[in-house]
Amino acid sequence: MSPGTISNRIRALRFENGEMSQTELGRRIGLTRQTLAAIEAGKYSPSLEAAFRIAEVFKVDLQQVFQWNSEGVSQ
Amino acid sequence: MSYREKLAWLSLTAMALTFGPYFAIAGRASAMDKAMPNLHLLWLFAIAAGVQVVVQGLGRLWLRHKERLEGGLQPADERDLAIEYRSVRAAYGVLIAGMILVGCVMPFNSSGWRIVNAALAMIVAAEVVHYATVVFSYRRYA
Repeated sequence: MSPGTISNRIRALRFENGEMSQTELGRRIGLTRQTLAAIEAGKYSPSLEAAFRIAEVFKVDLQQVFQWNSEGVSQ
Repeated sequence: MSYREKLAWLSLTAMALTFGPYFAIAGRASAMDKAMPNLHLLWLFAIAAGVQVVVQGLGRLWLRHKERLEGGLQPADERDLAIEYRSVRAAYGVLIAGMILVGCVMPFNSSGWRIVNAALAMIVAAEVVHYATVVFSYRRYA
């Protein structure tokens, strides 16, 4: 299994959507503010369902919210 | 700090305040007092358990009230459930190991109140591991 990390643009997307608070976003997708903060900080990877729900709130594709950065793969 | 992490801290504190002194006293008493039933230790345990229930009950009521004032109690989400699953699994391992030790090993070289106290200590140890894992997980994934 190749190592990699997941990054996300949730903070930027919240900013682009009228400075939506973590509490508001969490309320809309059924996550607590603390969990959203952990996801934003890259310390917790959400389930696929939660990831799709986040993308749905911002009306963007999943890949515009989460990106997989594989290490050691030459481009 | 999330509501569930606060609950875990409360439980750890309550156990340290109640079962800590109990096992400190029981550890010294059991060597010289092997009578069964040991009413002195039974009373001490009853007091420790009673104080535990009161501290936990009042603490939980206070935390719940505080959480309501700060915007309402939120149901557990997927991260909360994942942390709970991890912590229960860790505690189960400790409990099983403890019960094997108490039930299958100790009867060959101990008896009476020492076995009772060892069983109680293993149950408390499993609970400590449970709540400590909760606290650690929330710190790690926060």
